[in-house]
Amino acid sequence: MRILKIVLSSFITIALVYSLNRSWNFGKPIPPLGKFLDPFHGFWKNAESKNDKPADVHLKGLTGEVSILYDSAMIPHIYATNEEDLFFAQGYVTAFHRLWQMEFQTHAAAGRISEILGSAAIDFDRGQRRLGMVYAAKNSLAEMEKDAQINLLASRYTEGVNAYIHTLTYDRLPIEYKLLDYAPEDWTPLKSGLLLKYMAKTLNIGDKDFEMTNALKLFGKETLDLLYPDNEKVGDPIVDNPNGWKFKPVALEGVAPATEPELVQINTLEKSEPDIGSNNWAVAGSKTASGSPILCNDPHLELNLPSIWYIIHMNAPGYNAMGASLPGSPCVISGFNDSIAWGETNAQRDLVDWFKIKFKDKSKNEYLSDGNWKKTNKVIEKIIVKNASPYYDTVVYTHQGPITYDETFHADSEKKYYAFRWVAHDPSKELITFYLLNKSKNHGDYMKALDNYSSPAQNFVFASVSGDIAMRIQGKYPVRRKDEGKFVLDGTKTFNEWQAFIPNDQNVMYKNPARGFVSSANQYPTDETYPYYVTAPNFEAYRNRRINQRLGEMSKITPQDMMSLQADNYNLKASESLPSWLALLDPSKLNAAEKNAYEKLKSWDYFNQINSEGASYYEAWLHQFFPMIWDEIENSKIPLPYPTSYTTIKLIKEKPDLRFFDIQSTPEKETITDVARKSFSESVEEIEKWKKEKGKEPTWAAYKDSYIQHLARLEPFSYHVIHGGNGSIVNAHGKRNGPSWRMVVSLEKSGVRAWGVYPGGQSGNPGSPYYNSMLDVWTADRYLNLHFNTTAPQMQNFSFAHQTLKSDK
Amino acid sequence: MKLVYQILATAIVCFLVQIFLPWWTMALVAFAFGYYFNLGSGAAFLAGFVSVGLLWFAKAYSTDLATQSILTEKVNRLLPLNVFVMMVIVGGLVGGFASMTGTIVKGKKQARYY
Repeated sequence: MRILKIVLSSFITIALVYSLNRSWNFGKPIPPLGKFLDPFHGFWKNAESKNDKPADVHLKGLTGEVSILYDSAMIPHIYATNEEDLFFAQGYVTAFHRLWQMEFQTHAAAGRISEILGSAAIDFDRGQRRLGMVYAAKNSLAEMEKDAQINLLASRYTEGVNAYIHTLTYDRLPIEYKLLDYAPEDWTPLKSGLLLKYMAKTLNIGDKDFEMTNALKLFGKETLDLLYPDNEKVGDPIVDNPNGWKFKPVALEGVAPATEPELVQINTLEKSEPDIGSNNWAVAGSKTASGSPILCNDPHLELNLPSIWYIIHMNAPGYNAMGASLPGSPCVISGFNDSIAWGETNAQRDLVDWFKIKFKDKSKNEYLSDGNWKKTNKVIEKIIVKNASPYYDTVVYTHQGPITYDETFHADSEKKYYAFRWVAHDPSKELITFYLLNKSKNHGDYMKALDNYSSPAQNFVFASVSGDIAMRIQGKYPVRRKDEGKFVLDGTKTFNEWQAFIPNDQNVMYKNPARGFVSSANQYPTDETYPYYVTAPNFEAYRNRRINQRLGEMSKITPQDMMSLQADNYNLKASESLPSWLALLDPSKLNAAEKNAYEKLKSWDYFNQINSEGASYYEAWLHQFFPMIWDEIENSKIPLPYPTSYTTIKLIKEKPDLRFFDIQSTPEKETITDVARKSFSESVEEIEKWKKEKGKEPTWAAYKDSYIQHLARLEPFSYHVIHGGNGSIVNAHGKRNGPSWRMVVSLEKSGVRAWGVYPGGQSGNPGSPYYNSMLDVWTADRYLNLHFNTTAPQMQNFSFAHQTLKSDK
Repeated sequence: MKLVYQILATAIVCFLVQIFLPWWTMALVAFAFGYYFNLGSGAAFLAGFVSVGLLWFAKAYSTDLATQSILTEKVNRLLPLNVFVMMVIVGGLVGGFASMTGTIVKGKKQARYY
């Protein structure tokens, strides 16, 4: 009897300890509760107070001592005695604040999320691998390893990250590891490569080749040109330099062969939203109050926590740069030093092609190219899955790239195969560009730095203390014949492939233009005299015009004026469309709610401010109106491209009898007037429903309900914010995307002054007061003063904590 | 009185041990004192539950105060139960069963009938 009791009681105790020491998944993941709730080591240890300061540490691998001063925003100012230690320290502090995010993002890039989250992520992971993300990162890594300088900074950064990882015990692990019950692995230079490919995927993977091919077959060429013009010819291009292109362009022989009409039935992977874009500009001293140039940058990305950006100040002999860095990559990415400032927006360009492959047989071992059967390369991808056995996926590569979609992946009934060619697959060395930019002294240095840059293609804005401003649209661009790359291509002939790239010195660029400013906002890159064919999935049509109009009319510009412009909420799209839409309504036939909406819209000033109700009614209307117009596309069983807002608005005004205005599901033949009225009624109904549910008036910020989400989509670690703006507005803050980093730099001879902010905080720890400490500053359109002092003693006044990294030999 | 002694002794030693060692080592401590005090199943369970539960609660509460509940309220929204309640149940159950096992293993001399 006693034995039984002993056995039973011991069993219960041991079973309890065992089951509370591991994670479970009952539909919802449960962390290891004993470990997690333990107040000595569990999540409680991740809670921090404002007074917690980083402590001094001894680290193996440093050559000397490194001083890190943290200012009141927890921005590290690193003072090292050489660059080797500088990059080591950057790796260390970045990991100190952002380790989980760094690893999670690179796991996502590499298609390894199933390892952490389980089988629900297999489709995502397969997609990443089938797009060749790891293949691309490995190609870049091989190139990086050839360059001693990149090798040094990537490996020192890696050592710094690992020095931090090796100091970790369970109690100091970031909370996400404790929640999801796993541990960090060592950092590698490949992970830095993966991060840059992750950015390339966010920014440069856009294409609509399948959709355009289908549209060509269904609608014909004439309609295609009407709905999807190459150039909407709206506003100024980024670089307007008519007849200024004095070089002999690379020409390809022949003309692009006509696309064979066909239908492609593929459920394509999720694409990045057209809202992802950015603004940057620089004004010359002739236009500013101080007489010195001012440079501004605000990249618009999906807004997540921990933030995509991490502010850092890096100082060593010959090196003094500050700005936004990407956790996982060495150097400052968008920033300034004591001589220059630079920033990026995305360059819209078609950098993707799909080549139709003819396999010899079902085995897919050989494919046809110029009349010969070539061997494919089959890569077996092993996807490790949490709490399950690994998933094996075979990806077939041709010389063009991976066959992303096949009968096992997103193309069940499809018997056609397309090889994915993407410029980011090619060897590249972005890191050297940022390293050189960080150290640039003048325009010549900036040009040399950019000569090394290929992907993701960006519009690099530049300004210097010496008074120059410049813009360069840098990337690796295939030379294309007219219309080439808009549709799927025949992969059996190398004639159709990328044969040459535009030489660096023939890329679109200029310096000190007469108008006194340079700017880019993802619009069409250049004037029509540029001798290369330019195409892209879309070009921005509104932000760029508002920015250029404002910059053109402004003078005696101060940094505060520039901050106001970054926060500008003027809705140019609404001002160009709403009056003509309202004219389609018959006010005498509206019900009470509609009448109220009509009046709100009529009296609206076209600013998407926090309290504008007109903005809510406009955006809700547009949200009903466009899908109703393009119902043929919306309801199509095969993928078709959407015309842009600009083209849609133009067609509403200019082609009221367009056949697309008919709503297909009704027997009647609708005109644009019918569609406008119907969509208006539905949008008002939607807002009335919203009002009833929320019990408040539909002010814009409340109706928009912007959300900044934790990367693991944990609701308690995410925030709803009240903020104006929207896509296509200079303050491009939509529901999930927006200005992810705002920077204003005044390049004064007496010393560079700079301001910056992003929606988040320096710490990636949800238990830190610095997790979201910049969020309210950002939402109020205010900025932090970026203290930029060249020596550690000068920084003392602004510093909140001083940490010394000591060499432990 | 012995019950109070066991609670205090377990809590103090657990506190010292837990600073350095993983959470489950408190089960070994609770077991040891269950064995030493040998109060019988019910009382031993109560002592183990209360000592670990109280210790964990006190430690967590001090962290919560020092950090102005910055993480507590977030984790509260992640878990189905209030974290303090959950933590006391988790720590208490393990401490309680461990202590009970201790007293059963030692057993009462007169109860030995084999």
